[in-house]
Amino acid sequence: MIKPHFAVTVISKDRPGIVADTAEVLLRLGCNVEDSSCTMLGGDFAMILTVSHPKPFPKSRLVDEFRHLHESAGLVAHIRSLSEEEIKLSPPAGELCLISVYGADRPGIVYRVTRELADRRVSITDLNTRLVGTETEPLYVMMLEAYLPEGMSVEDAELLLAGLRGELNVEIGVRAINPVSL
Amino acid sequence: MPVRTILQFPHPLLKKMCRRVERIDSEILELVADLLDTMRSGPGSVGVAAPQIGASLRLCVVDVSMSKLGRESNHGLLVLINPEILLGEGSATMREGCMSIPDYTGDVERSTLIRLSYTDAHGEQQELESMGFEAVAIQHEMDHLDGVLFLDRIASLKSGLFRRKRYR
Repeated sequence: MIKPHFAVTVISKDRPGIVADTAEVLLRLGCNVEDSSCTMLGGDFAMILTVSHPKPFPKSRLVDEFRHLHESAGLVAHIRSLSEEEIKLSPPAGELCLISVYGADRPGIVYRVTRELADRRVSITDLNTRLVGTETEPLYVMMLEAYLPEGMSVEDAELLLAGLRGELNVEIGVRAINPVSL
Repeated sequence: MPVRTILQFPHPLLKKMCRRVERIDSEILELVADLLDTMRSGPGSVGVAAPQIGASLRLCVVDVSMSKLGRESNHGLLVLINPEILLGEGSATMREGCMSIPDYTGDVERSTLIRLSYTDAHGEQQELESMGFEAVAIQHEMDHLDGVLFLDRIASLKSGLFRRKRYR
């Protein structure tokens, strides 16, 4: 039997205890947190988790428990069942690199950069953006990590994005990460 | 000389302080041979420490000469018995993984230049200066001799703990 898996998303006004409240519900239901990533987004705290259960388990129990948590603690959660296909990990093939993009805020920075990457089959594994600076001079910062497709070098990726520098008036850097196994 | 199994955390030996090698006898030489065979059998492996194959002794092997990052600057094959870092300078972050903690990598800050004393496999006292990737590998392997894993040294969470990244 393949263990049932669920995607759990929680986004709530930040306060101490959001993770503990969420983890308590999951523990009580016998769910195991597999992968998770949680961070501050503005004044909210956001959690994304994949959880599994060792036995057949209905999604409705998670939904009910989190509804109670919403009523008692104000957390807003969303639950989705994951298919067997979704939980499989496909190892990436090419080079891993970090791409930094920053400049005066304007519409389309995320879209133009990521569309360019997607069209060349560059696979983003992590991405975060921050709107910083002042109200009159907002600065946009985007950092992402991505696997280049087989055959594409870091220099190729740099060249690919070079045109966007002028178009978006942003700085763009591409650096190899080179994870090492020791 | 057999290729030995790499112990994986939470094996208790990996968190133990290793004891000094007092005498280089046939048993130690056999251990060195096993470490070398084990290192060479792992794809892209550039170092193994004795506790990783079950011997709680201050002994590790490093060889970055075949790796892309270490090709330019290295001392070839190093057998480090009772190694000690005399001096560490500079610092740089590298995304490290470890055969004892599979499928996990994290950014670790290490000295970029180290001065090292150690005993070689012939029992001779040696000193060397190492830099770049070789210096990182030596520091990583030497950490094992103190029961320190790279997870104990993760420098930053923000861009640090990314799981299941491919090694090279």
